[in-house]
Amino acid sequence: MIDYILLLVLLPVIVGIVNLFLPVVLQKILNSALFIFLLYPVYLLFYQSQWTFEWMGILIFSVDKLSLMMVVSIQIISLIVYIFLLKSLTRVHEKIFMVYYPLTVAVCNAAVMSVNSWALLIAWGLSGIFLFLVGLMGTQENNSESAKKTMLIVGGSDVLLILGLVLLRFLEYSNGWQLWKIGMPLEGELARVAFVSLLIAAFAKAGVFPFHTWMPDYSKTTLTEGVAFLPAALDKLLGIYLLARLVTSVFVIGIRMNLILMSIGAFTIIAAVMMALIQHNGKKLLGYHAVSQVGYMVLGIGSGSVLAFAGGLFHLLNNVLYKTGLFLSLGSVEKQTGTADLDDMGGLGNKMFLAFLPALIASLSISGIPPFNGFFSKWMIYQGILEFAKDLTAGQQLWALVCLILAVFGSALTLASFLKFLHTIFLGKPREKYKDVKDAPFNQWLATGIISLLCVGTGLFAVKMPLESLIYPAMKEMGMALPVWLGTYSPLLVFGLILLAFIPGMVLFLLIKNIRYDEIYLGGMEAVEKFRISGTGWYNEVRNMRPLKGIYTAAELKIFDLYSWLKNIAKGLGKLLSLLHMGQLQFYNLWIIIGAMVLFWMMK
Amino acid sequence: MILDNLFYLFVFPGFLFVAVLGLLVGWVDRKVSARFQFRVGPPVLQNFNDFFKLLGKQTIIVKDSVKSLFIAAPLLAFGTLCLIATMVGMALFFEQGFHGDLLVLMYLMMVYSVMLVLGGISTGNVYSSIGAGREIKLLLGDELVFILVCLIPIVKSGYAVNLEAMIIAQSDGMFIGSVSGVIGLIAGLLCIQAKMALRPFDIAEAETEIVEGPLMEYSGPLLAFWKLNHHIMYVAYPLVLVVLFFGGFNLQGIGILWAVLKYLLIVVLMIIIKNTNPRLQIDNALKFFWRVLAPLAFIGLILAVLGV
Repeated sequence: MIDYILLLVLLPVIVGIVNLFLPVVLQKILNSALFIFLLYPVYLLFYQSQWTFEWMGILIFSVDKLSLMMVVSIQIISLIVYIFLLKSLTRVHEKIFMVYYPLTVAVCNAAVMSVNSWALLIAWGLSGIFLFLVGLMGTQENNSESAKKTMLIVGGSDVLLILGLVLLRFLEYSNGWQLWKIGMPLEGELARVAFVSLLIAAFAKAGVFPFHTWMPDYSKTTLTEGVAFLPAALDKLLGIYLLARLVTSVFVIGIRMNLILMSIGAFTIIAAVMMALIQHNGKKLLGYHAVSQVGYMVLGIGSGSVLAFAGGLFHLLNNVLYKTGLFLSLGSVEKQTGTADLDDMGGLGNKMFLAFLPALIASLSISGIPPFNGFFSKWMIYQGILEFAKDLTAGQQLWALVCLILAVFGSALTLASFLKFLHTIFLGKPREKYKDVKDAPFNQWLATGIISLLCVGTGLFAVKMPLESLIYPAMKEMGMALPVWLGTYSPLLVFGLILLAFIPGMVLFLLIKNIRYDEIYLGGMEAVEKFRISGTGWYNEVRNMRPLKGIYTAAELKIFDLYSWLKNIAKGLGKLLSLLHMGQLQFYNLWIIIGAMVLFWMMK
Repeated sequence: MILDNLFYLFVFPGFLFVAVLGLLVGWVDRKVSARFQFRVGPPVLQNFNDFFKLLGKQTIIVKDSVKSLFIAAPLLAFGTLCLIATMVGMALFFEQGFHGDLLVLMYLMMVYSVMLVLGGISTGNVYSSIGAGREIKLLLGDELVFILVCLIPIVKSGYAVNLEAMIIAQSDGMFIGSVSGVIGLIAGLLCIQAKMALRPFDIAEAETEIVEGPLMEYSGPLLAFWKLNHHIMYVAYPLVLVVLFFGGFNLQGIGILWAVLKYLLIVVLMIIIKNTNPRLQIDNALKFFWRVLAPLAFIGLILAVLGV
């Protein structure tokens, strides 16, 4: 019998390699067959309690419920993005991308199924390399720079992953290289170092402050399809998966660590969304939101409350959906207008209605407007924090509440940012130069349409669809209690009742139906194109308010960018060392002697 | 069950109740405002007349606008407000939940602004765009404070988020009886003022400056619905504050008088603030909310955590 678990990894690898030698048409056919076929093992996985793959007596892959959740998400999202890819890329990019695409899916599948340190390391590292390779396929001049930055941050954090895994092996020797079932208390320096290293690896992958700085740059310069697929979806899944494993299976963390993780999450939300507010480039704006949304997941998963934990995982799935949807919708627009610069667009909503509608739904979802899916997960996280705060001391309560306030306020800021996004691209006065723009092609709006339906569906049937079928089983398997709601919210009824009240109004309007179509009214002036505002400057008042002004200026100078700090330090050290290169033999001898003396002194 | 829900939503305490009461309270507002300015003011049924007259007028739609959004926005806002009113009313009059808690309510209250903005900017009118930008900025301002305001009763009721649980928690003493409650009410009142776009926070609609901002292109029945929405808010939003700080209604004997007084106190305060303050500039409004009111509300929250 064929080992289906292996198929999830091997098949995409084979297809990827074969694709190297095929023309684009055959590549597409082969990939289509692959991604449709991959749904089959996933379907089978649902009905198996546990699937494992052993090699030479060592357990390599195993799919428990948490892995299953990730595997399901990876296959679904890669199929949807693939539909979009069928007709969107240029020929040059298409040929290479069709090779990278299945290979990326293979390594991501491998990473979430690995139960062996080595397998995890290899898959994790390879996924970073594909991120870099996709980053090189950008459309802008400085894309290699941002790809390099990505490689250094994400790849650099792999070193910490190695360190963490080795320390784990050292601390729990009897476990071998086996992963995920340790349950170690955070005591002793080594355990703490291991925890922090693994945490940083997860954070860098998912893009949590302060390791997030690659994400906005990468989003801006790389192909929109690549961003929609990798940093917006798969890397989030991987990073948060590791985080969830760390705080539930590998380590047992205390309240203080909970509070630290929550603070990191809350700060990530607010810092990134504040930056997103003032962006002028659509892709960069979405990139900052990709960072900000991870904050909610860290907040939920780090809080230690089961309700928030379930909410965090749910938010991960939601984010994968709507963030991919947003990038893809923007991608459709970018294809038609040739730009992702917000100052340069406007009023496309009528011409590109089929790109606008999914963007609207995804925007409302990400802003947490009921009854869409984003609200449900946020609602769970907020309740979880309240539940967590209930039994703490007064100081700790306040601390947790501040995190909650930042999260809720971050959601209002997200809303503001996305209303600006919608205004600058789709709404506002249409521009002359885009009067011949065509709507998104069939395959593109099919992909974004499926995502919109999923956003609505998982919002309305949240308890059934992701919670009871994917998330609760995973939590049960990890020995967690099932969450109990603090409040009440029935999305279906809320939606239904709003709709019920909406319908009589609509009927009344249609009955009266006394409509005239006319030009914009500007008090008698002709509505020429100069009477329009783009909307990118909507939040200048926020930007120019003290003390935010100083913070924004500092952020634009990359003061908070860990990467640029390290780069500058490395450059400075390099300069210092180059001073030693004098080109005179006697000095080199001197350095050797000094070096030898230092060595001897150390070995003494 | 379905019939019950329909009755609650459309008759009492939902649409019919809040619409009629709202239009009447709207008259009180107009009358009192007129007296402030030494005018006579309109007759009692003026708001009803306005509404029905607008229903009969022609709707003018901008040719290049996103028409579906333009038409749906006021109606969706109307639906949302009906639901908000029902949720609050059910808690107050029947001590029952209605498919949502305070967190849901907070987010539903944002939906109104979202619809106002989306409806406005779907037309492409430059005044609407400016007004919409201001509306969102104002939302950012008041939302931060409103979160803090909502957290005060949550903490005081022992971390309950259901509206009816909050009312039950106040059965042996309203939250307004504590220092944190007073602070919360003051901050909450100003938030509501901003959410309803009443002076000094009528920045987004600023008739004399940007000609009603997001509402500029609306006419006929759609405008009628926006006006109706505004009147529904006159009932629903003050009642939210009643739930949060004044406990429920005891509709027996003298309790009815108390119930009316609780509500009227808030409405009268709102009308007084409205008529004695000039319109703020948007950056000053943001500064007011973020620098003055948010720290104040945060002090209230600290006191609530400490049990004061």
